[in-house]
Amino acid sequence: MNDLHGILFAYRSNANLGELTRPRNTCSLPFGGRYRLIDFMLSNYVNAGISDVGIIVHQSYQSLLDHLGSGKDWDLSRKHGGLRILPPFSYAQQGHGEYRGNMDALAGVSDYLSNIRQDYVIMGWGDVAVNLPVADVFSQHLSTGADITVVCTPTLRGAPRFSEYVEVSEENRITDLSVHPTAADKALESLELYIMSKQLLMDMVDYCAAHDISNFSRGVLQPRLKALKLMPYIHQGYAGRFQSVGDYYQRSMDLLDPAVRADLFSPLRPIRTKDQSNPSTYYGPDSACACSLVADGCHIEGEVEHSILSRGVVVEKGAKVSNSVLMQGTVVKAGASLAYVIADKNVTVNEGRMLMGHNTYPLAIAKDSVV
Amino acid sequence: MKKEVVAMLLAGGQGSRLYALTSHVAKPAVPFGGKYRIIDFPLSNCVNSGIDTVGVLTQYRPLELNSYIGNGQPWDLDRSDGGVHILPPYMREGDQGTWYKGTANAIYQNIGFLDLYDPEYVVILSGDHIYKMDYADMVDLHKKTGAACTISVLEVTMEEASRFGIMNVDEQDQVYEFEEKPKQPKSNLASMGIYVFTWSKLRQYLMDDEADPNSSNDFGKNIIPNMLAANEKLMAYRFHGYWKDVGTINSLWDANMDMLAPRSSIDLHDPEWPIYARSPIKSPHTTGPNARISHSLVTGGCQVDGSVENSVLFHSVVIEEGANVQYSILMPGSVVKAGAQVSYAIIAEDAVIGQNAVVGSAPDDNPDWGIAVVAGGVTVGERAVVPPSAMVREDVKGGELA
Repeated sequence: MNDLHGILFAYRSNANLGELTRPRNTCSLPFGGRYRLIDFMLSNYVNAGISDVGIIVHQSYQSLLDHLGSGKDWDLSRKHGGLRILPPFSYAQQGHGEYRGNMDALAGVSDYLSNIRQDYVIMGWGDVAVNLPVADVFSQHLSTGADITVVCTPTLRGAPRFSEYVEVSEENRITDLSVHPTAADKALESLELYIMSKQLLMDMVDYCAAHDISNFSRGVLQPRLKALKLMPYIHQGYAGRFQSVGDYYQRSMDLLDPAVRADLFSPLRPIRTKDQSNPSTYYGPDSACACSLVADGCHIEGEVEHSILSRGVVVEKGAKVSNSVLMQGTVVKAGASLAYVIADKNVTVNEGRMLMGHNTYPLAIAKDSVV
Repeated sequence: MKKEVVAMLLAGGQGSRLYALTSHVAKPAVPFGGKYRIIDFPLSNCVNSGIDTVGVLTQYRPLELNSYIGNGQPWDLDRSDGGVHILPPYMREGDQGTWYKGTANAIYQNIGFLDLYDPEYVVILSGDHIYKMDYADMVDLHKKTGAACTISVLEVTMEEASRFGIMNVDEQDQVYEFEEKPKQPKSNLASMGIYVFTWSKLRQYLMDDEADPNSSNDFGKNIIPNMLAANEKLMAYRFHGYWKDVGTINSLWDANMDMLAPRSSIDLHDPEWPIYARSPIKSPHTTGPNARISHSLVTGGCQVDGSVENSVLFHSVVIEEGANVQYSILMPGSVVKAGAQVSYAIIAEDAVIGQNAVVGSAPDDNPDWGIAVVAGGVTVGERAVVPPSAMVREDVKGGELA
């Protein structure tokens, strides 16, 4: 499919993710044992045959650059097109944490946009865990003749204060859009993922730059609900959003449900990620491991239950890990005990330590900490 | 462009002693150690040794090996200059051209390839050994001693020596005699089939060897003896460390089991000497509520609900609840259904072991006991029995004895 161009916004770092996003933006948050959040949307694009993808970054994108490299793990290292990382070139608000809104972000890369080879553009956030048939979204967009197709989910997941909801008429037109209400007031939550023509996008970017409009939903979509034909694409599958530490924990635990895994890791549309050449995971003679998701390269001699272990995690003899998420390189030493814990990369939990959070308030431990 | 060192990897062998495992693939493409194929070891050694130009000589069932190597990207061998090259035998003008007649002939037929890079030294490797080795260190010895050929050797016990090609050396480790499987070995230095040659020398010996109609065109049988006879300087390079030939079912099984004890074999986690592999896209593996896994390797995409002990599971293996797997090697995509018992067995890719079937058994006093092998894609039916030592290449019907 060479008529669709992919854009991903990868510049927000959600303050409510606390310790987990201090060293990185939300898109490079590790998830599911071996992925970063951006792998999902990026793979969705590639699996739909999209060959040109621009990723708009602003600050703390070091870990994202490390992860994406030349894009070869997504087959996006191309002579012509392929993956482009787009840091701000000359942005008036430099020095601030992030772009004020996605129209600002697009204006910051307007030269890039004008060089897009394709007639259509799909754009959205790179921090949603979803296996979306983008090819289907695109063919629906073409067949309905919509100006903008908005991908929505009937399974409300987001916190209302950070989410957008749409109302749909009998003719399947979007008639109302509420942005960050106090309570989820509609049956459809927007995934803030849009397909439109390149021409329409360029016009909107120009208009917004000229009128100092930074927010796409408030500044473009809401005032033009009547003028533009906005139609929803309803994704029935799983969609995981990450707006708080609690969200991150719950979405991780969702993966222990075989139905969620079957949907998210469908072999028809595999989620690609950076290849790290880890050997297989070793289980010691006295290990136990039940109801867990375990990546390659781990060394497990202790007990693991209802947990998610990323690449290269070590659980020593006599250590117990339950209901926890351990990111890459976590070491749980002999006799330590973890329950309801999220350990960021390279955390070491020393001998005999006991750490316990709660299902509703998991304990997050910052990257590289020694407990 | 000129390269100082080019490696040539002999990967054309059928590996007939692996029987059912190589009926569809060349031996170097046989899966190994959970994540790898045999060829990953010499290829990774090349890259880690700084050798960026590698010719892989193939002729038997090359398709899977070719697609596995692809453009060489997993080994960082996708280079604009050099990189990995698949070298099959080819026809020449006037219907000239043959299959590779022997190891030396395989290199002879690719003199044109080597001349493209005009190397000083050529490293000859084979695709059936599991080991980590710094070829650069061996090339250094070769350069320092000014040898025409340097042969990597392993110290074996005197009892084992009569099963190997043995290098007899002087105090400086210069080789004065080569004996193939000697009955009364004079030394315990076994050739590992890894050679460094000064290319200009080897090139001439290959031409002369080709002109000899009685030659079997083999390095061990012809080239090395010819060089010794001509008083060329041949050096032995002593290798210390883990090295295993995986040319037989038993040695392949043994070497896989060795990977469970990395301290005594190969440390696959060593960041200084990574072993690379082309890995399919798989999500992490999952364990069910009643899974029991002990002293085993488990790889991405597996689903373990049963019991697994002392075994190696490659990617996408399914062990259903109530199934019991012991001392076995389960290659990618194989399935062991509920209640089946698999012990001391090698289950090849995508094979299915039906419910309550029994494959293999623990060693007993029976002299005919051996590892049971189920070939790729084969289905062993419900309650069927595959006895030890069996090599199953065709489906076994439910309840039957293979």
